[in-house]
Amino acid sequence: MISARGVRKSFGAATVLDGIDLDVHGGEVVSILGSSGSGKSTLIRCMNGLEKLDGGRITIDDFDVSRQKELTEARKRSATVFQLFNLYPHMTAVQNVALAPVEVLKTPRKQAEAEARALLDSVGLSARADAFPSQLSGGQRQRVGICRALAMKPRYLLLDEITSALDPEMTADVLGILAKLAREGTTMVFVTHEIEFARTISSRIVFLDKGQLVVDLPTAEFFAADGGLAMPRIAQFLSKMRKD
Amino acid sequence: MRYTAFTSYDIVLLAQGLGVSLALFLATTIIGLFIGSVWAVIRFYRVPVLTQLVTALAELLKNSPVLVQLFLVFFGLPAFAKFNVTPVEAAVITLSGNTAAFVFVIAVSAIESIGRDQIEAARVFGLSRWQILRRIIAPQAMAFAIGPLTGLLVNQLQVTSLISVIGVVDLTKMGNILNLRTLKPFIVWAIVGALYYVMAKLIAFAGAVLEKRLRAHTAWKGL
Repeated sequence: MISARGVRKSFGAATVLDGIDLDVHGGEVVSILGSSGSGKSTLIRCMNGLEKLDGGRITIDDFDVSRQKELTEARKRSATVFQLFNLYPHMTAVQNVALAPVEVLKTPRKQAEAEARALLDSVGLSARADAFPSQLSGGQRQRVGICRALAMKPRYLLLDEITSALDPEMTADVLGILAKLAREGTTMVFVTHEIEFARTISSRIVFLDKGQLVVDLPTAEFFAADGGLAMPRIAQFLSKMRKD
Repeated sequence: MRYTAFTSYDIVLLAQGLGVSLALFLATTIIGLFIGSVWAVIRFYRVPVLTQLVTALAELLKNSPVLVQLFLVFFGLPAFAKFNVTPVEAAVITLSGNTAAFVFVIAVSAIESIGRDQIEAARVFGLSRWQILRRIIAPQAMAFAIGPLTGLLVNQLQVTSLISVIGVVDLTKMGNILNLRTLKPFIVWAIVGALYYVMAKLIAFAGAVLEKRLRAHTAWKGL
């Protein structure tokens, strides 16, 4: 379980997260919605230990990410896919995927690379396995990014606006892979602007506004006229997003 | 008349001088690369005290003339520390230190040129600082540094000629000796200059080959 309690984070004078409480249980897909600057990405960056908390606590399977020793364990259980892919440019797709299993999990290189090829194959990239990131399209890069996360066999996938840098066609490719992962029961924390897609795969929707968690509802309730939609802030957000 | 003639044996003497210059260049390059890289790693880990120390030392070394440093080591060490150094030792110490200082500067900027986003990705996947340095930063930093490094080494080759003033019989010193004997400065110095030129070109060529290999991932191979 990923558990956040009273999480606070500010950059200088700007408070980005203002007391967030959130639990993500195994097998759930939790989508985090909210307008730009609401703190969605910062919340993910706090979960994977890239940002230090100014207050509160985040644990991943009871490992506290604020403690250096426990962070290592927490990071072994979760894997992040980034908005801008963040691939290692000097390594081929296979090497990108196999690096952390070899270095961190101590998987033998041959086995790690075979598993990497199998993963790349599962997202339709078997022909591009030996290409460098600069030789791949955005959608292909993000598929490599997803494989790189899956190669760590994480219990939790943290997805930070992973389709924001992609065109609609590439977005559809990447979302197709997520839908498959969701069907297989992968636990995901999904920060996104893809409202309709979030609706189809999520078990719960969380809405952030100005660093505060406004609602945390099962998906059906969030989109119900007497549920989330009854709240003016959410109705306004959804109508705006759908127009865009 | 016969004494001032330029004989085929003089070619052998020049080749000997060339050998001394090359050996000193190679030795000080290897030592300098090693020390400069270690300093850069110290800075990468932000080791307290040591970081400030190596940064200050590099500043001193790269902002003062090599000739002055050479005199300081060759004449200063025996006088100050009662520590006698031969001309060759003084040359190795001075040139290695000077190369190290510039390697340090190049390595630091190469390390800092690596995008933060990929380092964050590696951290999130649980790689240690050392693993990140070895697998993510070093290979890319080397590709970045090889250009400036080649330029530095071509320059350091020319700088080795300074050691002739403390009596190391390198290519320049040999040129000087032959010049005094043959009284044919135009021929002697033209040959000496050409030999430096050829060596410099070889260094630049090796650097270019290495750079091409290290930058393989950025070359577009679509066609």
